[in-house]
Amino acid sequence: MATKRKQRHIALLSLLISATLFTVSCKDEEVDAEEENELITTVKLNFSSGGTTQSFKYSDPDGDGGKAPTVDAISLKPNTTYTLTVEVLDESKMPVSNITEEVKEESDEHLFVYTPTPSSLLTYTYGDKDANNFGIGLTGNAKTNTAGTGKLKVQLRHQPPINGKATKDGTPTPGSDDINIDFNVTVQ
Amino acid sequence: MKKAFQYIILFLAPLLGAGGAAGQVCDCFIQGIVQDDATKQPIIGAVVLIKELNKGVSTDAKGFYRISNICQGKYTVIGRIVGYEEKNYTINLEHGAEQNIKLSETELHLANIDIKAQKIENLTQTKSTLENAALDQTRGQSLGEALKQISGVTTLQTGSSIAKPVIHGMHSNRVLIMNNGVRQEGQQWGSEHAPEIDPFVAKKITVLKGAAGVRYGSDAIAGVIMLEPEALPDSTTIGGEINSVYFTNGNQTANAGILEGGVRKLGKTSQIPYSIGYRIQGTYKRGGDISTPNYRLANTGIQEINYSLSVDYKRKNWISEVFFSQFNTKIAVFSGSHIGNVSDLIEAIKRGTPLSIYTPEKFTYAIDRPYQDVQHNLLKVKNTLKNRYGVLSLTLGRQYDFRKEVDILRGDRNLTQLFKLTTYSSELIFEHKPFLKLLTGSIGINSLYQENLTTGTLTEPRSSTVLIPNFKNFTNGLFLIERIVRNNWEIESGFRYDIRHLNVYRIPRGGQIVVNNTQNNQNFTGTLGANYRPNARWNFMANASSAWRAATVNELYSDGVHHGAASFERGDENLVPEVALNLSFTTNYVSKNFQAELHLYNNYINNFIFLSPTGRPALTIRGAFPEFIYTQTDSRFQGFDLNGIVQIIKHLSLNSKISYLKAQDLSNNQPLIQIPANRWENTIRYDWKKTSVSLTNLYVAKQNRVPTKIIFSDIPSSEIIFTEYGGDFAPPPAAYSLWSASASQQFSINAKQSLNISLTISNLFNTTYRDYLNRFRYFADEIGRNMVFRAKYSF
Repeated sequence: MATKRKQRHIALLSLLISATLFTVSCKDEEVDAEEENELITTVKLNFSSGGTTQSFKYSDPDGDGGKAPTVDAISLKPNTTYTLTVEVLDESKMPVSNITEEVKEESDEHLFVYTPTPSSLLTYTYGDKDANNFGIGLTGNAKTNTAGTGKLKVQLRHQPPINGKATKDGTPTPGSDDINIDFNVTVQ
Repeated sequence: MKKAFQYIILFLAPLLGAGGAAGQVCDCFIQGIVQDDATKQPIIGAVVLIKELNKGVSTDAKGFYRISNICQGKYTVIGRIVGYEEKNYTINLEHGAEQNIKLSETELHLANIDIKAQKIENLTQTKSTLENAALDQTRGQSLGEALKQISGVTTLQTGSSIAKPVIHGMHSNRVLIMNNGVRQEGQQWGSEHAPEIDPFVAKKITVLKGAAGVRYGSDAIAGVIMLEPEALPDSTTIGGEINSVYFTNGNQTANAGILEGGVRKLGKTSQIPYSIGYRIQGTYKRGGDISTPNYRLANTGIQEINYSLSVDYKRKNWISEVFFSQFNTKIAVFSGSHIGNVSDLIEAIKRGTPLSIYTPEKFTYAIDRPYQDVQHNLLKVKNTLKNRYGVLSLTLGRQYDFRKEVDILRGDRNLTQLFKLTTYSSELIFEHKPFLKLLTGSIGINSLYQENLTTGTLTEPRSSTVLIPNFKNFTNGLFLIERIVRNNWEIESGFRYDIRHLNVYRIPRGGQIVVNNTQNNQNFTGTLGANYRPNARWNFMANASSAWRAATVNELYSDGVHHGAASFERGDENLVPEVALNLSFTTNYVSKNFQAELHLYNNYINNFIFLSPTGRPALTIRGAFPEFIYTQTDSRFQGFDLNGIVQIIKHLSLNSKISYLKAQDLSNNQPLIQIPANRWENTIRYDWKKTSVSLTNLYVAKQNRVPTKIIFSDIPSSEIIFTEYGGDFAPPPAAYSLWSASASQQFSINAKQSLNISLTISNLFNTTYRDYLNRFRYFADEIGRNMVFRAKYSF
């Protein structure tokens, strides 16, 4: 009789212990907002010449998927040298997060690549250099040639070091694309 | 009913190289009946063990046991089962021996209520087990790698450090893992998420092939992997094991230890006797950059720290058991695999070998970005009560899975993805005693509640850019399995009913408002199987089983770029659950010099959910990505696993395994994508006393069965641009042939202590190859030659 009661006791006790163990960790958990991923929504190209600046935007405010991005058509004058600067923004955040600053801070692992098609459309020369004397492409010159139409591909190559060893070598080859977009260009 | 189980063990043990054979002629056997000394009744489920070989079987429904393929010599045969005094017999074995074992009940009646899953699970289904020497040969490897030893099991890899088990061509959510009796709940939906389990915890790993939805619930479409530690000791002796492994490739070391003991209290007049057993286990693993035959891969190291604690308490008709384990790993992901968009990937494929910056000369242990950082905790409490009607057990589990995937990003503060999954599970099972001396079986209820957190709080997500949304999931299942055992026949049948309720909280792309979606699913599953053993040589098993799986959140709500996979993946909210019907037939044959097992299967899956290319580009600011949509089709997985072992001459045997699989998309009449290629493995093995030497060749064919057409008929052909290779990025790699060699030696220090050492060289000739199921096949070769030194000390 006594044993039976004792046995029931133990059964009850272990159930109680189990229940405690399982409820102890029931607090409201959350994942911090600052741990969220970076998102590039907007790339702005500023072409300046003779005191006037024209800006052209590639904008995808809702990120990948969803609505299709809007892309401005670039219209430039022939045989003109423009100062070309680029801005990279995350407009999904409030306030808007300026990723250009981060690229500038880590200029030794970033490279903008401007590829016109056909290549005769314009000529790009880097106007800035990182600590290792490689171009960055935040500022540069774009010189248009004769009138024509085509495309301008803008790439941001992210070339972070691997176990402390730099990968950026001034060419687009290493790393991966953080930006890879095409603008339609008319030179007239 | 035990027959099937026993036979599988009998059959597979030599195939898998379990048990070090010794002596001259190795075709001897011992057989007999284990019975209660007083009542002369057969004892079912008693363990009969050959002490010197550490080779054992359990008795079948008639108390019968047979251990074959033993070499000539003098052996100690031990018969034991909880509740009886252990008995030893010494046998001088020349050919075959009949040894009946008579056990007497112990005064301390710790009744046999240690119900292992094997007693109530489907026994008419094919099972393969990895234990003893065969398991020792995989020590230090990940679970996925270790399971490759079993025919029909391959891996889906992300480089060489992340491997997921693939059973008969299916993986991830279609393979259920039972970790110490608890359903493993991690982030298994991801193809680059390896199981969060330390194989050192297990003393035995069993793979159940085919749909097993009745016993294990939803998701067991392709099969079940069961990891079981050894039963806790109930004697006061302290014992344990130390494993040390060193891999030359990547300078990887793995050290693991087990310490166990117990307390045993014999009852005085009025007190009830009881015993307490405990075990402490820990593993530390560290490896650096691994090398392919021609170059080293930057950032491919690994670090792992795991431990587990378990305690049990047994008295009379009661057992309580508590188990806690923690798994921590940090896995570097090859730097050259970071893909910005599809043109990056195509450039990498064109290059053939990774850029020199990704293949450094200098070796390092450092883990840089990108890497995965994963923690998995499991707490299990199990209470078992035995009474005159049967055995009742309640298993409660709590799991916490925290996964961090750190990508290459600007600054140091950004993390790519965070997943926190908390799961509570419970299982109440009643295993009833034979009814009308005919029917045995069990009835059970499973419940599971889980919460997944990737952003904000559960009901208030903050970001729309997460890979999978926050969700809570509630499932409930009720099952009944009954079986009839007649002389040479066993018939087993079972039914199950499941309901699932899924609540998703997400912010759709570009939106601001939280959307709450719910999904309710319910399903019936069933199983019917038979086992026929006409004589000691032959055994036949036939089984029809079903299983189902509701669409997971990634299949329902994915909408974005899959980092590294260079694909844009879209879910489909309207996916319905997939239902599998698996038909299988297995034949075993055992004779003096030849043993074989043939397993044929035909797995039909209605509404099979898979990711299919649309051929359309999805434009993002990072460039163009080929679009993939989760869709459904009717499919068929058809194939066979054939194992054979031939004793050529004394000491020398040949073991041959063939796995063949054909997976077809029936609705679209073309092969399914990402199905492992057919393979043929041959091992020549020489055993002499406690020494064993083997040479293995593995031939993996080229996968010629790949899809060729886009299946979405509503997409205008003008929008389709990615059509080459049927939506894949490159054709499947060529066939390959790999050699490996192994030598092992066992030393007995004294009755209790032993030392096993072995050397294995995998990829003996440093062959350059790529595997179709490795995501890195597009840009990097597989791992090169690897010498593995293993030492195991048991005390």
